[in-house]
Amino acid sequence: MYTRRDLLKHTSAGFGYLALAGLASLSRTSALGAGADVAANPLSPKPPHFPAKAKRVIFLCMQGGPSHVDTFDYKPALASDDGKRGKYGGALLKSPWQFRQRGESGLWISDLFPEVAKHADEMCLIRSMHCDQPVHPGAMTQMHTGTAQFVRPSLGAWTLYGLGTENESLPGFVSLSPPAGSSRNYSSAFLPAIYGGTKVGGSGGRFAQAARFNAGGGQAVPDISNPKRTTAQQRRQLDFIQSLNRSQMPAGDGANVEGVIQSYELAFRMQDAMPELMDLSGEDQRTISMYGADSDPTRTFGRQCLLARRFAEAGVRFIEVTHGNWDQHARLTEDHAARAEACDQPIAALLADLKQRDMLKDTLVMWGGEFGRTPSAQNGNGRNHNNKGYTLWMAGGGTKGGFSYGATDEHGFEAVENPCHVHDWHATVLHLLGLDHTRLTYRYAGRDFRLTDVYGNVARDILA
Amino acid sequence: MFFQRILRSVLFFVSAASLVGVADFSAAADDSADDVAATPLTPEQSKFFETKIRPVLVRECYGCHSKQAGQSKGGLRLDTQAAMIEGGDSGPAIVPGDLDASLFFGAITHTDFVMPPKRKLTDAEIADFRTWILDGAPDPRVITPVETPAQTIDDEMIAQAKRTFWAYQAPRRSRPPEPDTASTHAAAWSKTTIDRFLLNELDDAGLQPAADAAAPILLRRLCFDLIGLPPTPEQLEWFTAAYDQNPDAAVARVVDRLLDSHQFGEHWGRHWLDVVRYGESTGREVNMTYPNAWRYRDYVIDSVNADKPYDEFVQEQIAGDLLPAADDNEWSEHLVATGFLAIGTKNVNEQSGAQFAADLADEQIDATTRVFLGTSVACARCHDHKFDPIRQSDYYAMAGIFRSTKTFFGTPPSQYGSFGGPQQRRVSSLILLPTDDPDPAGRSYSPEELQQLHQDIRDRQAELVELRRGESATSTRRGASPQQMRIRLTNELGTLSAKLGVVDENGQPRSYCMGVQDADTVGDAPLLVRGEIDQPAGRIKRGLPAALSDVSFSPQPGTSGRLELARWIGSDDNTLAARVMVNRIWQHVFGQGIVPTTEDFGMTGTAPSHPELLDHLAIEFMESDWSVKTMIRQMMLTRAYRMQSTFDVASHEADPDNRLLWRANVKRLNAESLRDAMLVIAGALETERPTGSKVAQAGYSRVRDGQLGDPRDAVRRTMQTTLTSRRGRLAPIFDRIRNGNPREQALARNQLRSAIGNQRMAELATAAYDEGSLDSVSNNHRSVYLPVVRDFVPRSLDVFDFADPSMVIGTRETSNTPNQALYMLNNPLTLRLSEAFAERLLQEGRSTKDRVEMAFVLAYGRPPSAAERTASHRFLSSSGLLPKSALAAFCQSLFAAAEFRYLN
Repeated sequence: MYTRRDLLKHTSAGFGYLALAGLASLSRTSALGAGADVAANPLSPKPPHFPAKAKRVIFLCMQGGPSHVDTFDYKPALASDDGKRGKYGGALLKSPWQFRQRGESGLWISDLFPEVAKHADEMCLIRSMHCDQPVHPGAMTQMHTGTAQFVRPSLGAWTLYGLGTENESLPGFVSLSPPAGSSRNYSSAFLPAIYGGTKVGGSGGRFAQAARFNAGGGQAVPDISNPKRTTAQQRRQLDFIQSLNRSQMPAGDGANVEGVIQSYELAFRMQDAMPELMDLSGEDQRTISMYGADSDPTRTFGRQCLLARRFAEAGVRFIEVTHGNWDQHARLTEDHAARAEACDQPIAALLADLKQRDMLKDTLVMWGGEFGRTPSAQNGNGRNHNNKGYTLWMAGGGTKGGFSYGATDEHGFEAVENPCHVHDWHATVLHLLGLDHTRLTYRYAGRDFRLTDVYGNVARDILA
Repeated sequence: MFFQRILRSVLFFVSAASLVGVADFSAAADDSADDVAATPLTPEQSKFFETKIRPVLVRECYGCHSKQAGQSKGGLRLDTQAAMIEGGDSGPAIVPGDLDASLFFGAITHTDFVMPPKRKLTDAEIADFRTWILDGAPDPRVITPVETPAQTIDDEMIAQAKRTFWAYQAPRRSRPPEPDTASTHAAAWSKTTIDRFLLNELDDAGLQPAADAAAPILLRRLCFDLIGLPPTPEQLEWFTAAYDQNPDAAVARVVDRLLDSHQFGEHWGRHWLDVVRYGESTGREVNMTYPNAWRYRDYVIDSVNADKPYDEFVQEQIAGDLLPAADDNEWSEHLVATGFLAIGTKNVNEQSGAQFAADLADEQIDATTRVFLGTSVACARCHDHKFDPIRQSDYYAMAGIFRSTKTFFGTPPSQYGSFGGPQQRRVSSLILLPTDDPDPAGRSYSPEELQQLHQDIRDRQAELVELRRGESATSTRRGASPQQMRIRLTNELGTLSAKLGVVDENGQPRSYCMGVQDADTVGDAPLLVRGEIDQPAGRIKRGLPAALSDVSFSPQPGTSGRLELARWIGSDDNTLAARVMVNRIWQHVFGQGIVPTTEDFGMTGTAPSHPELLDHLAIEFMESDWSVKTMIRQMMLTRAYRMQSTFDVASHEADPDNRLLWRANVKRLNAESLRDAMLVIAGALETERPTGSKVAQAGYSRVRDGQLGDPRDAVRRTMQTTLTSRRGRLAPIFDRIRNGNPREQALARNQLRSAIGNQRMAELATAAYDEGSLDSVSNNHRSVYLPVVRDFVPRSLDVFDFADPSMVIGTRETSNTPNQALYMLNNPLTLRLSEAFAERLLQEGRSTKDRVEMAFVLAYGRPPSAAERTASHRFLSSSGLLPKSALAAFCQSLFAAAEFRYLN
């Protein structure tokens, strides 16, 4: 009996190293046949515009808007002015959590993130973030695509477009369990579809997943396995398909058919690689426990962070993990604590794990929500949306560790020092990857588009 | 009386507490707001405002209702006079001099709303506001109209563009070049005028047209291009013989027959639906269904089949509601056509009504100009167009037309009113059609069900009232905060009310459509500096883009001007409409547009490869009474259409993109054709048009997880019907699942499981999931009838580059991805249809040899080559599968291989 791996060794020999050329023939022109010269593979690694440290990105997206004044933006005046009238009405609410100085650098971080705080000296806090959108969907979309107004490619898609990817058996941009209805946040929009994020893990509720499981699906990636055939049977069928393809190859003009042939080989390998990558049984118990992937409340996010590391290790260019429900208009003390508890240990483990594998130096880890929360109270023990000033942090990938950039006013309402708009952040992220945001353009509907539109300044102070 | 009071308080309460709109937004609001004269305040008024009014507003209100705070809860801002008068979702906050009509006053006195939410203003403060409002609410916080920014495009630049740019000049008739007598061979090649235009360019480039394709290839091309389905073996046999005898007659016969089949409209109508961003839901975060969007889909298919003159087709979609109609049927058809303007993507979660209205008009301007004119006017929303001679004032001249239009995209209010929700702030109704559906698509309700609906609504309204009074202890489901309860109850009310709103008093569905009407108040719109709603400059007279138009634009007084816009776009008064459409037809016939940027005929678009030919076609199109079928026929009867797609090195080097058409372009079948071809070859295609759509059956609801409706409800429904006998015993269990605390819920779920059996539960869950699933794996109708819910397009379409329903797409991508391979190898639909194909072969073929021959003819329109025959038999005998599975795997392989998805 062959294992799938054996079969791969045998059968892929015929295709040699699968030059992925023509895998995705993207434009209509190339689909029409670029002729004898096969179109270059749009996913193959591309050199950056200039040398850079960051080779890949792990984006820990905190959906709902975590409160900056309770986590990473220390505001002593907020504590001393507790109960007083805030700048825009409402009573100021001091943070229920203590802030302490951490690490050599002495960055102030609250007790909501005690484990992450241990990595303070790796962290680069941007405490002057701001965006244009005060509501969740708009702000989430702007954080991902730069605009809430139009359907535009997401940061991950631009990254993949700019740099290609390094693993020929896996997609180059994955989004782990994104919220339902958020596809535009990882879509390629007008960029060729191949640059869009591949959703991994159902976003469906428990019910939908249970039903799919019963129906024989239960697949983290659609159609990733065949319910009816063994690997050997499928390989024989695939060989037959490939023989038909080869007999149908038009003379002198094989790009289309070549692309089909290669897509089948990659798909066949993905059937093997994806489930294997998603199977954590090969990780030792110490690692699993470090991420908290074996017990609540860290189980889900711990598992996702561990998966993120595995994808990063496997050469995936851009990995996004979403952790939701930070929207505490009420019950701030209880619910923010619960949200943080579910992700503090996993994030700390991810940083530690990357470091011990010597991957933090070229992996850009980013943490942040679509906006922050008001320093003034809402419903007593709650805070409202605040898009005028909030904090986002990055670590590794050529950022300055133990560093704080920009500042909000004394209470944390508004970014006042080195304000960093989402566009500026995007420009900075691309810069860390070696891409000039003004040169990374794509021609669509007659003009050259870019992630930052006509805006964006690289925050050079944060570069290591 | 009592009931009305409750209703009123419920509605207002809902609005105040959870930012819900019982709203109606039309362009009217900002007209009145802007027209409040800014009379200067007297010193006394000024002092009063600055000492008594402004400080309280700043302290108590700005936190949630000001630009500074970035908040406009309930769509309301209180930081300018205009914003206060315009008000929020519930209406004007201040009506100067009128306390009763000023919702703001009702709120601070805790009559209608409770504001500020946590405490009441002092009696003295309330008295100050009373004095102020009665004094006419004099307010110095006036936004003075911002100065209109200087134009970067002057009149001379526009005049010059009109003089020099090809697309802004009327199409000119030119004589097709006389065939060069020296090359009689080439002259003999041409069959039609189109051929002569093409041949002339090829000659100039020193290229030769490719030889004719073989009959089977040509027939497959004709069938897929015209109706999106493969030829049958019988058709193939006939055509091969007929083509041999008289190729021109054989092709003409096929073209005519297929143009007449109803499947033509299903294929070509879908091309149109791509361009008009057809979708059956709002998209975005709060993805609400459009249960009546299918009417527009059917309208398009029927119009294409009837070969409705394209100019009429255009006018109906922009202004069908304003066109004269011969009878009620035509009137209905015209109303449905305006669905074009209503089916776009919408952010129903938008807090600000004014922003939503501006975005809606923007979307309509964008779609209208790119779809019909191949020009992006929406680029000029924030500033003059960077490349094309389109000014920002051109944009706002059109914006006035659409801001004077009211769009219907939601669901009609029931007798209980309209309910939004904190997630769905922008509510809207529908248009009642003058004619009834012979075969209604929506649900009907029995008297008992109706009664239950009424009861459910009243129960929830009562719960909301109790919740508001703080008497909610009894009705709060444990574990939920009052805020969560309010949201849940409002959402439930919305769902229930939507069901009631679309049926008559007997529970029978009424016929509604999406679409537009002129608004109650019409007028010019102000130019918004940088496109920002609170930066209005002067008003711009409604009109047409200066660079595109020479005709004067004068709407009938009291109307939006949409009718005049429609009549200008759907005519030869503009230079673009006919060119844009013939270019699209050309693209679908030949695989690449004469202008490859099909939606951009501007300066940044690609220039036409054959300008004279494009003009010739545009003129022919207009002179044939804008007949799309005539155009297609003219193009398909050319010699050029018959060329083979064979590669040629020298020609390729001279013209790598084949813009001069030296050979036929290889086309990738679109997703619909791939699925439909598999269905028809498997003998499973249902060719009848289904009534409505899956979305229509589900009604107005929010889509989550690729599901229409909550699968739990479906399980409950199934259980209640299949387990009626045991219902008495199960009712208390359901009650505990719904209302108990978490521990009781868990216990009750276990009880239910043991009462019904785990296996049966799993089956029910699966059935419920399939019933609500938008993936529609078990559906056998043509793909054009599958539900097109934004973000949840069925995988069979999505994976093969279906047009993103949120964007205007004239040219689809044709990617080649491993996802497609996975779909072909493993998807349940592929597997099911492969088995059906095998079943068909078993029934119709007598031997394996027979079946292999048949399979190739069915799948590729040709017999297998010797090598393929050998490989097939080898696979069938050595697949390691049982014979029937082996045959299915063989069939699947034919679907999976490259030739199936390409048209050579």
